[in-house]
Amino acid sequence: MEEQVGIAWHRLVNRLAARRHPAAAIELTSVSRAAALLYRALGGDHGVALQAGAQTRHGARRAWLERLAGSERKADLAWVDGQALRLPPVIDVYPEAGLNRDLYFWLAALCAVDPRPDLPWLTRNQAAALAVTGGFPGLAAGYRRLVAAEIARRPQLDKLPPDEARQEEAIRSALTEPGSVAALPAARRPPHPVLLWLRPELAAAGRAHAAAAPEAAAQAGSALQSDKKRRIAEHAEMPERKGGLMLFRPESIFSWTEYAKIEHETQENEDQDLARAADDLDVIAIAQDQKSVAKKLRMSLDLAAAQGDGAPLDGAGMLPEWDYRTQLLKPDQCRINAVPLGDALPCALPGHLVRDRQRLRRQFAALQPQRQRLKAQPEGSEIDIDPYIRHVAQRSGAGSGFYTDQRQRQRDLACLLLADLSLSTEAWAGEGRRVIDVIRDSLLLFSEALSVTRDRFALVGFSSRQRSDVRFHTLKAFDEAYGDAVRGRINGIAPAYYTRMGAAIRHATGILGRQKARERLLLLLTDGKPNDADHYEGRYGIEDTRKALIAARQAGLRPFCVTVDQEAHEYLPHTFGKSSFIIIRKPSELPARLPLLYALLTR
Amino acid sequence: MTVTSIARALRVPKLIPPYTATGDEIAVFELAHRNRLPVLIKGPTGCGKTRFVEHMAARLGLPLYTVSCHDDLSAADLVGRHLIDASGTYWTDGPLTQAVRHGGICYLDEVVEARKDTTVVLHALSDDRRILPIDRTGEILEAPPEFMLVVSYNPGYQHLLKGLKPSTRQRFVSLAFGFPEAASEIDIVATESGLDHETAKRLVTLANALRRTADHDLEEAPGTRLIVDAAKLIAAGCDPQVACRAAVVECLSDEPEICRALMVVVAAIFGR
Repeated sequence: MEEQVGIAWHRLVNRLAARRHPAAAIELTSVSRAAALLYRALGGDHGVALQAGAQTRHGARRAWLERLAGSERKADLAWVDGQALRLPPVIDVYPEAGLNRDLYFWLAALCAVDPRPDLPWLTRNQAAALAVTGGFPGLAAGYRRLVAAEIARRPQLDKLPPDEARQEEAIRSALTEPGSVAALPAARRPPHPVLLWLRPELAAAGRAHAAAAPEAAAQAGSALQSDKKRRIAEHAEMPERKGGLMLFRPESIFSWTEYAKIEHETQENEDQDLARAADDLDVIAIAQDQKSVAKKLRMSLDLAAAQGDGAPLDGAGMLPEWDYRTQLLKPDQCRINAVPLGDALPCALPGHLVRDRQRLRRQFAALQPQRQRLKAQPEGSEIDIDPYIRHVAQRSGAGSGFYTDQRQRQRDLACLLLADLSLSTEAWAGEGRRVIDVIRDSLLLFSEALSVTRDRFALVGFSSRQRSDVRFHTLKAFDEAYGDAVRGRINGIAPAYYTRMGAAIRHATGILGRQKARERLLLLLTDGKPNDADHYEGRYGIEDTRKALIAARQAGLRPFCVTVDQEAHEYLPHTFGKSSFIIIRKPSELPARLPLLYALLTR
Repeated sequence: MTVTSIARALRVPKLIPPYTATGDEIAVFELAHRNRLPVLIKGPTGCGKTRFVEHMAARLGLPLYTVSCHDDLSAADLVGRHLIDASGTYWTDGPLTQAVRHGGICYLDEVVEARKDTTVVLHALSDDRRILPIDRTGEILEAPPEFMLVVSYNPGYQHLLKGLKPSTRQRFVSLAFGFPEAASEIDIVATESGLDHETAKRLVTLANALRRTADHDLEEAPGTRLIVDAAKLIAAGCDPQVACRAAVVECLSDEPEICRALMVVVAAIFGR
């Protein structure tokens, strides 16, 4: 009873206190494509992704209802860091949907332009607003409407103590007339958050994790859905329990303010309470220990990318890796280990693919090199008698096209198919099948189709366990015939570990580059972003992959990516280029579509 | 290629078409012509390659034979062929042979599109031999000093099976074209369309913003031609946002989502 009253009171007071407009709410997902494009168009970095940002605690005075409800402690502000452009997940602060949408675009523009990021918050934002309104008249018009709405939303001047009122007045004139306010009058509390401005810089926090050895089981990427909101994360040491003293009780989740035990690899979004508790924390401290809490939460953490040790590995045939932060290609960073699949039993094509094989073989027979007879040509090796007779009979002036010509259709192609076998491919792809099953079927049908044409091809699978162990499984080498032995190896593929894409591409470039063919196609089959169990994630992995692909192009190869990751349009244009990838919306269609895609690419 | 289209390909310009130089390409072209060197022009769509060649032909007082290459264009389309009429067969020169015979600039637009046998013809003409052997008639034509071979291509298109062979590329003096600097592009847009300077400036701002998204969101950056088209619509009284949608945005992408996003950029510049 007591609890029910409490819940009802919480809802009521929250509704009363909320100065939000759910009917006019705009979600980031609905504008993300446009906001990201605007960000790039106005000069933003192509390498950063667009993500929902964490809320920022502002510390400003709140209305008594908000204090009563315990809400509005934090505000959704925008900022950009080395990894991503962070915008609020939802904007519902203004009564009109158009204004809320304009705020997204305004913030994206502000992040892109931001001419003086070195200045303090107040002057920096005024300089950025001036630059945007000066350069883009359309945004200037929208800005005037946004300022009017923002001032209407802000606390009333006569309800504030005199010092805060003076501060508020300065903010308002800085908004209406950017560049006019040089300094903020002192006040006991910070000003009410300005939603039209970028987030004030936070003090750098936390120490980086030392890269701990990963447990293979920790990467059970079963959930394809994730909690979209990101939380600011900070690494901290796990408090040691000495002499039986309990520093915190795991079950007291609502009063938890210091440590949430979050395994950010095993993530199952099933505990709503933990999610809410995590929302209430400002900074989630991640403690390093190997034990995990029974109930886990999947969420993306705004972790600063760890530096990694970066020491060169010794041995022959080491591959370099690109570090975008130092803009250096660090030599001898990754070791390739060829893992043979010798013990696989040869097998025939599985029954459910036989019908597809018949169809594909017919379609691919058309790709075989063959002589083509062209009729009614203006030149050619033989006379085409029909049009000549027609011409003579009609006696109709000048004419041409009395020859037949033979033309040889030539194909001189080598294709290396690089399949991602990381543990994330164990995720469900729908219709009761896992991504790995889909990849297996794709490899089989692809080989069936290509064995009909005379194009040379190789199949390679890869996974990685940090940079010292990038594993390569040759399923079919270029000089090997496709048969039961190869089928057996494809049948034996199993998901394992992570995806160090850059190293895999560099190694594949080496193999394919040795093939003597006029056209060399490097086909990458994957289900997600590059990542590994160390610093190889986020922007680092993406930039390294991009560099590896540039090198592949310079070697005269043509890379192309086929992915089932539905969010791949956020990063693949940057790595592969606009027209060199395809996202398969339904993974179950991949086996049938991959060979056709190949036909299209090599036509 | 029929006789009528060959006749159309020949163009002796009377007025010099306006062209704003972005670098020293005019001087290089003139020197190449004087030294009988062939020229290769590469650059993105709509950056003024064809206009430049037309301008130079008029400036040098040479007739211009333009051939737009396509994937079925063979050597015979360039050199010429036997035709048949009531009295028997007779020979007609192709545009390349005409240019060699009478002197002038032969301009092969998008040369990578043409069939492979055309490169054989071009090779003998583009090195110091400067000859055009016509095996059908047994003639070997020597190119006069006024003859000049100019080819262009767009390296931005990524054809899987197409590209200019190094042996071809190394025979030419190469000029790389890019988009002009903002200030001179504003002048070009204003002169070509008759639009006021202020609106032309906004259009060029838009063009440069959209060019920054090329490779990531767009297949190819918008060229000056596209911007001039939009400027002409606006100068004729069209609403700027409508003009930009019709002449720029819809020409750049077929994906509705991308078009909507591009219109956000248009609104950032022309919104009210």
